[in-house]
Amino acid sequence: MEKYGIGQPVRRKEDVRFLTGKGVYIDDISRPNLVHAVILRSPHAHAKILKIDSSEAQTMPGVLAIVTGQDWEREDFAPIPTRSAVKTKISGAPLNQPPRHCLAIERARYVGEPVALIVAESSAQAQDAAESIEVDYEELEPVTDQVKALEPGAPQIWDDIEGNICLDFELGDKQATDKAFAAADHVVSLELRNNRVTAVPIETRGAIAEYDAASDSYLLHNATQNVHANRATFADVLKISPDKLHHVAPDVGGGFGAKNSGYPEPPLLLYAAKKLGRPVKWIADRNESFQGDTHGRDQASKVELALDSEGKFLALRTSTIGNLGAYCFTMGPFTPTAGSARTQGGPYDIPAMFYSAIAAFTNTMPLDPYRGAGRPEASFQIERVVELAARELGIDPVELRARNLMRADTLPRKTPMGLDVDTGDFPQLFERTLKMSDREGYAKRVQESRARGLRRGFAIAPYLECSGGMPKEFAGVTFASDGTITLSVGSQSTGMGHETSLPQILGARLGVDMDKIAYVQGDTDATPLGGGHGGSRGLEMGGSAVMTAANDIIAKARHIAAHMLNSTPDDISFANGAFTDVKTDQNIAMEDVIAASFEQGRLPSDMEPGCLDTGVTYERELITCPNGCHAAEVEVDPETGSINVERYWVVDDFGTIINPLLAEGQVMGGIAQGLGQALMENIVYDEESGQLVTGSLMDYALPRADSMPNMQLAFFEDAPTAKNPLGVKGAGEAGCCGAPPAIVNAVLDALKGDGVTHIEMPLTPEKVWRAIAGGKLSP
Amino acid sequence: MYEFQYHRPNSLEDAAKLFDAAGDPQYLAGGQTLIPVMKQRLAMPSDLIDIGRIGDLHGITADKNALTIGAMTTHAQVASCDKVRESIPALASLANHIGDPAVRNRGTLGGSIANNDPAADYPAALVALGASVQTTSREIAAEAFFTGLFETALEEGEMIVKVTFPVTDCAGYEKFPNPASRYATVGVFVARTKERVRVAVTGAGLSVFRAGDIEAALETDFSPDALDGISISADGLNSDLHASAEYRANLIIVLARRAAAKANAA
Amino acid sequence: MPQLSLSVNARPVSADVEPRCLLSNLLREHLGLTGTHIGCDTSQCGACVVLVDGKAIKSCTMFAHQAEGCEVTTIEGLAGEGTLHPMQEAFRDHHALQCGFCTPGMIMASVALARDNPALDEAAVCKGLEGNLCRCTGYQNIIRAVLAGAKSMRGKHDV
Repeated sequence: MEKYGIGQPVRRKEDVRFLTGKGVYIDDISRPNLVHAVILRSPHAHAKILKIDSSEAQTMPGVLAIVTGQDWEREDFAPIPTRSAVKTKISGAPLNQPPRHCLAIERARYVGEPVALIVAESSAQAQDAAESIEVDYEELEPVTDQVKALEPGAPQIWDDIEGNICLDFELGDKQATDKAFAAADHVVSLELRNNRVTAVPIETRGAIAEYDAASDSYLLHNATQNVHANRATFADVLKISPDKLHHVAPDVGGGFGAKNSGYPEPPLLLYAAKKLGRPVKWIADRNESFQGDTHGRDQASKVELALDSEGKFLALRTSTIGNLGAYCFTMGPFTPTAGSARTQGGPYDIPAMFYSAIAAFTNTMPLDPYRGAGRPEASFQIERVVELAARELGIDPVELRARNLMRADTLPRKTPMGLDVDTGDFPQLFERTLKMSDREGYAKRVQESRARGLRRGFAIAPYLECSGGMPKEFAGVTFASDGTITLSVGSQSTGMGHETSLPQILGARLGVDMDKIAYVQGDTDATPLGGGHGGSRGLEMGGSAVMTAANDIIAKARHIAAHMLNSTPDDISFANGAFTDVKTDQNIAMEDVIAASFEQGRLPSDMEPGCLDTGVTYERELITCPNGCHAAEVEVDPETGSINVERYWVVDDFGTIINPLLAEGQVMGGIAQGLGQALMENIVYDEESGQLVTGSLMDYALPRADSMPNMQLAFFEDAPTAKNPLGVKGAGEAGCCGAPPAIVNAVLDALKGDGVTHIEMPLTPEKVWRAIAGGKLSP
Repeated sequence: MYEFQYHRPNSLEDAAKLFDAAGDPQYLAGGQTLIPVMKQRLAMPSDLIDIGRIGDLHGITADKNALTIGAMTTHAQVASCDKVRESIPALASLANHIGDPAVRNRGTLGGSIANNDPAADYPAALVALGASVQTTSREIAAEAFFTGLFETALEEGEMIVKVTFPVTDCAGYEKFPNPASRYATVGVFVARTKERVRVAVTGAGLSVFRAGDIEAALETDFSPDALDGISISADGLNSDLHASAEYRANLIIVLARRAAAKANAA
Repeated sequence: MPQLSLSVNARPVSADVEPRCLLSNLLREHLGLTGTHIGCDTSQCGACVVLVDGKAIKSCTMFAHQAEGCEVTTIEGLAGEGTLHPMQEAFRDHHALQCGFCTPGMIMASVALARDNPALDEAAVCKGLEGNLCRCTGYQNIIRAVLAGAKSMRGKHDV
């Protein structure tokens, strides 16, 4: 059993399926009688829809249905609600939530907004028809930048929402913070952007909707991260009872947050499936994904750090303007507000903090959580201002950080942002990272780089984030008399390997062979509730639910074991898959107890066959705090501005590591996305026309194999959290928190001789070259 | 994608006949640019005439004066061909850095130059090496062949058969790839023949062009240092999401210096 | 249009498909070989890579009719039923896949790379995978897997 225990690098059970092409993703599913949908999208960022003439399209070969905003309005479907945890402005008034319908009604507010649904026998026919629909637009002036959207006279995106403001927000002690600033020896201030990016899972979104008239119910297969929450959303829109909608996620080809949202396409497909009585499939192409998948980040912030004469941090003040896009998407208003506020200040001991934010509407695709959702922004803010402070105060940035980390003996504590930091050892992780990074050899490497005409830089970036996502999770375990066990969990893997890690937990705890455990996820019929995927919650929530279920099973099995051993439950201990009578030393294996649980004759009189079947809902009290430390060494070519991230080191404290193989995979994937944001990824809208400039992989750059440094990883496992029964803290988003500041600060370190103190992400070669050339160039 | 008729002739004559008979035909070479464009419904030829299997368009021959490459030779074939690697190694290296391995296995020399994408690599090689393009009706000097943005001297229905590259003393190509598409943000090909030095720039303008100032400097002294102090005007250079004209002007000099260094090392 | 004939995973295949049918459409929709994936419209992502006459190509950027008479190998045909090719094994062993969507293309590209380059090193693997995007793994485990898989292929004389 040991090889499958907790902490073992168990190879993934799902891999054989994926390696041999037998994974079943949404586009691999077909249905008899299937028809195909395409979405006609707005080519304008901001326009009145005066008239839609689909008369010619209606008559085209294969065309079955065309649905416009007017049709949608006539059906009286509900707008898609936001489920943001932050719902009110500072005043206590509700946030401004404009109606987000599945199709634009009377006005389109971003390029790519759905304007009509076209269903035809084939996708090509639907596309042909879409091209012949004539939409009469009256173009309006757009605004795509959130700072400009707040300026007086900016185009108004919603007639009844003055100033394009969704909500304002604040957290922390303003008075104490202002007081600390007033008394500080040094104040360091930095204005910076967190660039707009998008998740780009290699599988695009798609869905197949079916309707069964006999039962008046729907079946939706959907490339989603979250079947339960989205079932509720889609049911709300269609004004049906959620139990009439069976929502299933097949294998999902990556999500990173972008497949979590309540999108407009699935309700449209469900509607069409009912209307036509045929299954309707829609698969996004990549251009459509750039237009219509949620974007992430996009914050314009001012960060101020107050320090005393010794370089001790006294206070942090951050104000942010977050871009929401044209609507409140599923969690949109949460990210730039509470999502970014909670982990302000990172792992540093900062006595006073104040965070304020405004979330603004613009004529762009709405934003929603993308891997990290606020914590990468917070981490970037603090690490950039600390780096600048070190530069301005003439203190070694490594030393300045070391001086200000929260000490282990001050934990547990609540930060001024209200975050419960329970366990960890930030200084130790910092030291370990430094040690890994071979600081002794650095000077020599700088010389070697210089000999090749390159600048070398180093930066270290400790981070503290928080994770957990939806606060409830369900795990169900059913036993079959042939020895197989089925585990159903409401959390969902879109690549993280839950099919392995969750049975691994159950198998290890029960002492049964995990290969006998079948795993079910992403199905609203399989679990009564589920939080899906988001917020690094797979193990913290899903795993804790499994652990809780396992403990319940053991408690029940203990009664059976006592009965079988003619003992009492109090005298029965359980370890290594066996129950032992502590008095007689007689024991019985869990597997034998499971076998006995199907025979009434071997059970206590108050238990029945099948009694081990268990379903539990685990509810979290406090979110956990993954933390760690990244360090990067980069080379910069001053002639071209190209950056090569050459070496990379990370030490992470994710609490207990269930499967190091999978945990490392999460870290490296997160670093890649963080590196992408830092160096190349950028969603660009043309400011004047509001057109999306980066609409394909020809213009939106993703990291490739040769973009990545060699990454050395280590885990610190000495401080598991007591916030959940597994002691895990969450791993999925940490890489995205640490990588951007480590890489950007390393580049700026390389350029310190050039007097460069700040470059906005992404640090493209041209921006770097311009920064180096400085005054020698025209603006 | 829109519908079209597909033809796969086995000879140049059949290809020409098919072309003449069709309404709005287009030749299909490797398809690595054309197919994505058609998938996005940005092109709608009535007929595609697949010239991939016409024997006359394949093959690489070399003698001591020239290297001749059939139009349908793939980038991968050029990159791995010993004759190319021996006679003009810079050309093999250029071919080995177009797109990615799968694109190189389908994309062809003829297809690339007929399309004349302003960011394609091959045009720089043809112009710098003073190549000539043999078509079904005539021979065209490289510099006269590339006439503008996605435009060439090819007449309607005229097809590229092969390209002949005079063997050079030495040459070097240096490319700064677009981080997303891997096309050339700027690419500079430097070649020295018995008569003179030629420097061709791709990615920076509407079409490939020669950099006279750089050529003059390298004529005097064929070393990277000869380009110190030389600058290129940004006027008229491409400016887009990935690189401004000013940055491209800088890259031209930097890459020319590096290409010259490569040529010297070759 | 004449009937299209080719070999797919060592089996003769005949199909009557439209000229605009891409090789990826033929494989996925007509032959049910859905292991070949589509992740972009512009030939960047490489999820659709298959072998045509032993060479890695992007099946979304080739018409089915262009493959007339060719031998096509997809991820489904790489190893016998119930077995894994050394490259597939190496990907599993090195945790070189997460969501699995890019994996078939990544493996087909890697197999071709290993066969074409007897002496692979890390830099050659990075360059060889220029046309294959992965959004999950950060590539490090993929690079390790390709090196290990190539070594294992050499051991089994599959080069």
